[in-house]
Amino acid sequence: MDKNFQEEFKPVIKFEPPLYKQRHQFVKDLVEKYKPKKVADLGCADCSLLWMLKFCSCIEVLAGLDICANVMKEKMHTLSPLPVDYLQPSERSLTVTLHHGSVAHKDPCMLGFDLVTCIELIEHLEESELKKFPEVVFGFMAPSIVVISTPNSEFNPLFPRVMLYRHPDHKFEWSQAQFQSWALETARCYGYSVEFTGVGHPPTGMEKVGFCTQIGVFFRKSPQTGESVQSEKPTEAVYKTVFKAVYPSLKDGKYLQNAVISEVIFTAQIIKHRLMSKREESGDDPERKSKFQHSVDSFSDCLGKLVVEKHMEPFVSGNEVYIPLSTIFSFPKVNRLCGTFEKLCKLIAGKVTLSSDGSAVMFNIEHENEEN
Amino acid sequence: MTGRARARGRPPRQAPALPAGGDAPVQQGVPGQLHGQRQPQQLRVPPAQAEEPGGHGRAHSGDAGPQERRPGLQVSSGLQDLSLRDRGGRRRDFHDLGVNTRQTMVHVRESKTGFSGRMIKLTTNHFVLTSRPHWVLYQYHVGYSPEVEARRLRSALLFQHQDTLGATHAFDGTILFLPRRLQSKVTELLSRTRNGEDVKITVTLTNELPPTSPTCLQFYNIIFRRLLKMLNLQQIGRNYYNPSDPVSIPNHRLMVWLGFTSSILQYEENIMLCADVSHKVLRGETVLDTMHSIHSQVGEERFRDTCAKELIGLIVLTKYNNRTYRIDDIDWDNNPKGTFRKSDGSEVSFVEYYKKQYNIEITDWMQPVLISQVKRKSRNIQGSVALIPELCSLTGLTDKMRSDFSMMKDLAIHTRLPPEQRQRELSRLLTYIQKDENVQKELRNWGLSFDYKSVSFTGRVVQGEKIFQSGTMFDYSPQFADWSRETRGVPLIRAVPLDSWLLIYSRRNYDAANTLLQSLFKVSPSMGIRMSKPSMIEVDDRTETYLRVLQQRVTPDTNIVFCILSSSRKDKYDAIKKYLCTDCPIPSQCVLARTLSKPQTIMTVATKIALQMNCKMGGELWSVEIPLKQVMIVGIDCYHDTVSGKQSIAGFVASLNQPVTRWFSRCVVQSRGQELVDGIKACLQAALRNWSKWNKCLPSRIFVYRDGVGDGQLNTLVNYEVPQFLDCLKSIGTDYSPRLTVIVVKKRVGARFFAEVGGGLRNPPPGTVVDTVVTRPEWYDFFIVSQTVKNGCVAPTHYNVVYDTSQLKPDHVQRLTYKLCHMYYNWSGIIRVPAPCQYAHKLAFLVGQSIHREPNLLLSDRLYYL
Repeated sequence: MDKNFQEEFKPVIKFEPPLYKQRHQFVKDLVEKYKPKKVADLGCADCSLLWMLKFCSCIEVLAGLDICANVMKEKMHTLSPLPVDYLQPSERSLTVTLHHGSVAHKDPCMLGFDLVTCIELIEHLEESELKKFPEVVFGFMAPSIVVISTPNSEFNPLFPRVMLYRHPDHKFEWSQAQFQSWALETARCYGYSVEFTGVGHPPTGMEKVGFCTQIGVFFRKSPQTGESVQSEKPTEAVYKTVFKAVYPSLKDGKYLQNAVISEVIFTAQIIKHRLMSKREESGDDPERKSKFQHSVDSFSDCLGKLVVEKHMEPFVSGNEVYIPLSTIFSFPKVNRLCGTFEKLCKLIAGKVTLSSDGSAVMFNIEHENEEN
Repeated sequence: MTGRARARGRPPRQAPALPAGGDAPVQQGVPGQLHGQRQPQQLRVPPAQAEEPGGHGRAHSGDAGPQERRPGLQVSSGLQDLSLRDRGGRRRDFHDLGVNTRQTMVHVRESKTGFSGRMIKLTTNHFVLTSRPHWVLYQYHVGYSPEVEARRLRSALLFQHQDTLGATHAFDGTILFLPRRLQSKVTELLSRTRNGEDVKITVTLTNELPPTSPTCLQFYNIIFRRLLKMLNLQQIGRNYYNPSDPVSIPNHRLMVWLGFTSSILQYEENIMLCADVSHKVLRGETVLDTMHSIHSQVGEERFRDTCAKELIGLIVLTKYNNRTYRIDDIDWDNNPKGTFRKSDGSEVSFVEYYKKQYNIEITDWMQPVLISQVKRKSRNIQGSVALIPELCSLTGLTDKMRSDFSMMKDLAIHTRLPPEQRQRELSRLLTYIQKDENVQKELRNWGLSFDYKSVSFTGRVVQGEKIFQSGTMFDYSPQFADWSRETRGVPLIRAVPLDSWLLIYSRRNYDAANTLLQSLFKVSPSMGIRMSKPSMIEVDDRTETYLRVLQQRVTPDTNIVFCILSSSRKDKYDAIKKYLCTDCPIPSQCVLARTLSKPQTIMTVATKIALQMNCKMGGELWSVEIPLKQVMIVGIDCYHDTVSGKQSIAGFVASLNQPVTRWFSRCVVQSRGQELVDGIKACLQAALRNWSKWNKCLPSRIFVYRDGVGDGQLNTLVNYEVPQFLDCLKSIGTDYSPRLTVIVVKKRVGARFFAEVGGGLRNPPPGTVVDTVVTRPEWYDFFIVSQTVKNGCVAPTHYNVVYDTSQLKPDHVQRLTYKLCHMYYNWSGIIRVPAPCQYAHKLAFLVGQSIHREPNLLLSDRLYYL
């Protein structure tokens, strides 16, 4: 390409959104489409792709691998749970792990993944590493889907400043034909099919150079090959774990119990407040009433449309307020958390003060009267 | 919008590549001058530093350019060039570094310690930081050519050269700190961006910092925060918390996280870490949840008002990032379908944005939008950020929650740790630090380490004060620091008779009114208060009725108006106070009927009410011995009204007589954001006029106790407010030059002291004075523990004498301060701050909460604001 041509195209080669964002978006779209549960990003660098993926609700296990621990450490704390994740534990479980190691080595921690992404990774590999790479990723890890992206060297002349490679650490940059033949051969060898695409459209009129970043998406043909491979080659751990974060989740008994207890007590408090304010509104001094009339106030209007048997209604007796568990269980939030009434009882056992027969939450209001 | 809007620009630099060898010898640390001949046009720009005390940072990085330094020359860097921070946002000089007030006070240059009292062995929460011998921190300036804006990218590009720079570094985008010296003074590096652009990076040595340089202090703090992060603690606001072991209080839907506050500073002899246990109260509900429950409580009509009252000013956490925002406003006309402009100029709706960026579905599309102002003071940019209520979690307590007795009781169980437990929690943190391999490695790499045992030293407990009341002298038990029992039934110094007064109550409180009256008649004679029967007025329980009665029945002879209120609804109280403090200046006493409902406490309550009423009418209760003659004591405090009007109130009180039992008061209502009192001059002039009216001369000594000075505001106080005092005094007359002492009072300090008693740790007794080891060398400062606490740890109060021409010995200033803590008439005991501060606080609070404008001056010689 002559010099004039390059100059002419200088301003054109600005991608919007930036190319790395487009690559990440590509992976994200793929995740949305195939809903993998376990995703690994090889060559995760500053963890920005992992950070983006942690918001995808289908993913339960996220792993990152990089040869450089420092670059991972720089931003790894962005992968930690946020305070709000602890305050409102989510339904799904999520574990994020970062490993320090090479894609030329096998480590059992990389087994069992649904999706493995290698975004702008292979061009950083030395020849010897590149040779081992297919065996490690396709043969050993053997996930259902592998995504590999790499620069398309045919696009390079459109960049005014790129002399040989786009980055000094690149060991090679392939043309479309080179990448595709490598990919097809790899796919054939390990029983995968491959589709080619890319991000970063070439300028109009230059379509034949192809995408700026070329991408191969590999799908494993047989659903269960991975397992046989695993058992054949038991390997020992060679990666070093540099970071691990387990997100609070309602799947974890501890968080579920906390959430249920908190919701039960809160719901019971609401019912109690309404009950008490109703009594106050009725005009009489609550203390006098409970002393002299021994009245049992019933309270059902707060339940709205729910039909509750008469003996299952909240009531006040002396200084104690009783709110039946069945009433609390009928609140949608509690109901959704516990699923069954038995589970509710089990989860709050010993943590919430109940009536002697265990059928109702009990509050003592003697103290409150005093303080107020 | 949010994060993106924070990307800081920096002043234009025409030729960012810095010359090798530094041909621009730039002085540093001179505020008010922008340096560097590369930007001659900037010399006309008003200096940024002068406007922002303690401001330093990126915006000035232009003047932090290369500096001609001979290697090995120890130069303590000024702060102006430091902008290192561990997360986004500008860092204020929270510790008021670089305000050196002691050097101007000759009489305390040698020693600022007192001598009276008995010795007491104390332990504190300070830990010595040590650095290896000949420790030096290397400070580099990093420049990019072509200029790179994004901090992330700057960082990424620089650390492509990890081999050259080493793995241990701290970098904020402009300034790089390394524990070792690079081979050459100027290092040029070449990096390539993802787009294949080459960027030349020039790393220039600008400074070699000794361990005690102020820049290093900020650096230590940042490194320490990094360590806390490595321990997997979560940053919320300025502190770090442990999320893995929360205490939940389901009754109130609260969660408490245990965490730590930390600061590393230069103290008297050592650089020390001051660490304290901190509790973060978090709420398990979103702002939207809260809005729903407010709606169900107050209904449609008062919904918006109530939301504004309860929510504005609260700090929220968001679901998607680790930032805290303050709710400044609620935009009711907006909703999640509304759009905003992204940094790239495109319009996107909130719904789309959160879906795309974080995969978050906003379920309620009708909710309003919260507005948070993002301040960037130095460049006077006021950006605002829109937040979706559904995605925000509340933190901290609202005023409403604070007034909920049972909630506070439940909380106190978890947050009020007694001394032993507090130290135990602290040592747990230090054990984590000591045991964590990564943390130790980081410390080693920087050549730093901690002494893991807290600092011990001796303090002094000054003698208890004698309480004088009508010729009788009392001692009080130091254990309780309270003399309500001792002085019961003793005549007051000055009892004001109740000849004509009103007692207003609603029908349902008829019983309460009678009980109160009987009890008052029982308790008042022994105090020497002569009391006539009041005009009893029964009203229906509406605000308008109260006001109408006041208008009709209050006469110029009325001594005081007493109202019994049924509920703690603020509007009625506010209306009564407003009317009686402004339009019709008569002291008033409001009491909740509930307070009078318990027969077993009614006498105690009546006694307290009688005392309070007496003070409000100009009475005097007790006194302590004040050895100084012709002295006027001033107290100042501020109240910031965050809800309505967004104004600040400065309360100003000044003593009127020799035994400091009578107080003059004024207050200044100032517009938003004005932190420091502007109208002080007028207040002080009025106070002097009144003092001379009472004493037939002008005071020869003036002590100002200034409360309400925030972190980082000390500089402004010293350079702006103190000169105002001096100006004011000068304006009184050429031959008038009283001795002036200005003391900054700070209640919220990180330091805690524990008395070592029989192998255990206890709270130090009231009167404990600390003026060594943990004070600051550049200040004339001391701590006093004056109050006692029933549970938890007692917090010392910090006193910083920023201006003093009194020529008094430090011991005398300390004693006077402690004496004044005995003089608050609403509490028969010792309080945390000198009485004038508490009076000023009370006044500012009343005006800020209820009255919203300056009260009538006819009341100014009475404690009507108690």
